Amino acid sequence: MQAAVTPPQRRRLPLSFILAGIAILGAVLYLVFANTQANAVYYMTVPELKHCTTCTVQAVRVAGVVEAGSVARNDARQMINFTITDGKQLLPVTYTGVVPDIFRPGIQVVVEGHYTGQGPFQAQTLLAKCPSKFQSATPTSK
Amino acid sequence: MYFSDLGTIALILAAGFALYTIFAAAWGAQRNMPLLVKSALRSTLAVTFFLLLASAALVVSFLIHDFGVRYVAEQSSLSMLWYYTAAAFYGGQEGSLLYWSLMLSVFAAIFVFTSRRAPAVMVPYSVATLMGIELFFLFMLTTVSSPFTRVPIAPLDGNGLNPLLLDPGMLVHPPMLLMGYMSFSLPFAFAIAALITGHLNNDWLRAIRRWTLASWTIQTTGLILGAWWAYHVLGWGGYWSWDPVENAALLPWLTATAFLHSTMVQERRGMLKVWNLVLVIASFALSIFGTFEVRSGVISSVHSFAYSDIGGYFLAFLVIVIVFSSGLFLFRLPKLRPEQEFDSVVSREGVFLLNNLLLVGIAFATLWGTIFPLISAAFRGQAVTVGPPFYNQVISPLLAVLILAMGIGPLLAWRRTSTRALWKNLCVPAIGAALCALILPLVGVTDVLANIGFAICAFTAGAILYELWRGVRVRHKHGENYLFALYMLFARYRQRYGGYLVHLGMVALVVGIIGSHFFQQQQDSVLKSGQEMSIAGYRFVYFGNIDMNQSDSETVISQVQIWHDGQLLRYIYPGRTMYHNFGNQPASLISITTSGLTDLYVYLDDWSGNTQATIRVFVNPLVPLVWYGGALMLLGGVICWWPQRRRVVSTATRPSPGAAEPPRPASIEDKEAIV
Repeated sequence: MQAAVTPPQRRRLPLSFILAGIAILGAVLYLVFANTQANAVYYMTVPELKHCTTCTVQAVRVAGVVEAGSVARNDARQMINFTITDGKQLLPVTYTGVVPDIFRPGIQVVVEGHYTGQGPFQAQTLLAKCPSKFQSATPTSK
Repeated sequence: MYFSDLGTIALILAAGFALYTIFAAAWGAQRNMPLLVKSALRSTLAVTFFLLLASAALVVSFLIHDFGVRYVAEQSSLSMLWYYTAAAFYGGQEGSLLYWSLMLSVFAAIFVFTSRRAPAVMVPYSVATLMGIELFFLFMLTTVSSPFTRVPIAPLDGNGLNPLLLDPGMLVHPPMLLMGYMSFSLPFAFAIAALITGHLNNDWLRAIRRWTLASWTIQTTGLILGAWWAYHVLGWGGYWSWDPVENAALLPWLTATAFLHSTMVQERRGMLKVWNLVLVIASFALSIFGTFEVRSGVISSVHSFAYSDIGGYFLAFLVIVIVFSSGLFLFRLPKLRPEQEFDSVVSREGVFLLNNLLLVGIAFATLWGTIFPLISAAFRGQAVTVGPPFYNQVISPLLAVLILAMGIGPLLAWRRTSTRALWKNLCVPAIGAALCALILPLVGVTDVLANIGFAICAFTAGAILYELWRGVRVRHKHGENYLFALYMLFARYRQRYGGYLVHLGMVALVVGIIGSHFFQQQQDSVLKSGQEMSIAGYRFVYFGNIDMNQSDSETVISQVQIWHDGQLLRYIYPGRTMYHNFGNQPASLISITTSGLTDLYVYLDDWSGNTQATIRVFVNPLVPLVWYGGALMLLGGVICWWPQRRRVVSTATRPSPGAAEPPRPASIEDKEAIV
């Protein structure tokens, strides 16, 4: 259209808009970065976890396949013990809480919790990979 | 010849016609050859026809149990009910790609049929863009991810759909969500056409908005249905877990919502043109990104979609989309100058800008959280994830301000509003919110954050309802009875009042989220026959288990009574069904009893014999509001979208459609808002 007719100088935003915009952007960025630091959960493999020194205090996530024949439920205390494996190393896990329906030996799970270096991994969260999509649910076996 | 061969042929033909459409449309528009453009439009219809044929071939293959087709054998089995067998069509990757491209072609056909009303210069480029996207999908479908691949020896029975998918949710959620993803292609195609031609007038902008509104409504439906499905099936008592797959569906919804607001600023004031196009393109890019993320397995998700090699293709496509649109942008930037300037922060456009910053901020935070494992792996050499607490802490404050803006915004006039006029409109809802904040602690709601949230919601709901009441009262003074006046408001100013409904729905949804987030209670008990447990004033009496055997599965249900205030509410039967095909994978039969605005969510965790069960009960206050609010948002979306007959007539009789201030009903609203 008539770019030449419009005044050549750039239209300026009022200062109030700029200030309000900066305030909001600043708030968004602050919220994002502050909370990233506060809520970071490290993703580790089983061998990495075994050498982890900060995992007693810091939450970590470990993925693995539930080992066949390792699942033991304790109904009275709502506890479940099992072992996950990355194909080579084993990691015993103990967990209290909602066990997903699809949880069973052979499926891939992600556990999130703390590890003291000895004894089982104390999981606060147990995620089972939802096989919503078919085929083999254990990508590690490919 | 099998039906699957027919499907393969149809896909190849569709790809051929799509390719033809792209070149014929672009060439015809460049060289100004209307006949060539017309042939391109017809060829679009051919693409639709062949995709319908291919989809029909796949559905028939499913229904006749042709297990020689690998996809059919993977997704269905003889024991499945016919409607789940048909729905298995989109149960896997290949089929969902086919469904995606089918829907795209159907929408493209709708566009072709309605294109007579669209500006002639825009149509060919829009169609070419749509078919460009279509061609990408057809390429995938015919080469790397074909649903019609046959195996040499057909198995006797198929694998079957995963038990978690054997739910009515399967019939509605995936098709809606995939259609929602897909539908962002249309506004995108229109935006590309606008960039190529360099014309972006108000009529075209309105076309983009109407399609975006349709996409928004479809995507809202998909999201709400997904939440509802998760709530009814997964057994952890919640409906949203900030999983990467859920986030992927939320991202384009957020940018589309931002666009629907900022487009009004452009319509009214001719500002934010570049920003609007960025939002439209971002919505489409994010929907492709979502598909890429979900399919490639680069981000660990609870939904482990098969780790397939199509992720790379989607990434390549995403890069093409971004590079192409950015290039066009730089080329067209000089033409997209604002026509007016911003005057005051305290104005309608000021609030729209605030709304946009917040929505984009939320989208950024969600995207950041979703891809943070990738970012941290790249920069720190260590994959780090952030869980639901991250999203809750970042998004809650932003959402609170957004809800507040939702209450104030509609009360402000364009350009600037005097403080006194603002206070006149705001004092009633503000007093309501203050009362709410005072009364809630007295009735036992002492959580400070929850109270702030409830007060903000009360403010915004009050502001919207007060606005509705004032509109009705003005009409009532002119002799209409109250109900008719309300009806007339919605009939006359669909967008304005439809928008209010969406806002009210959003407020209800947020109240539901606050309620379930802060006040959920949970109790697990191991019960023997005749024993009971109580939580939050509800008593649960357990009687025993019933075991039922079906040909493909075994179901165990527990019989439980719910008592409240000494009265029997009802009998419930939470249970599990174990499917033999999937190594006895159980699927939960969760019992949800809605008592007022509280959900009693009962889940059979474990059992032993016929006389012992582990029952988990969640008391979820206000969760029904999430669904009511969602339904209200849909209704509002449909009302906004619904064609307005009056407007079409006025557009047709107007001499110059590109006039600076067209006499729209919208300008009448404006006066009302100032009054």
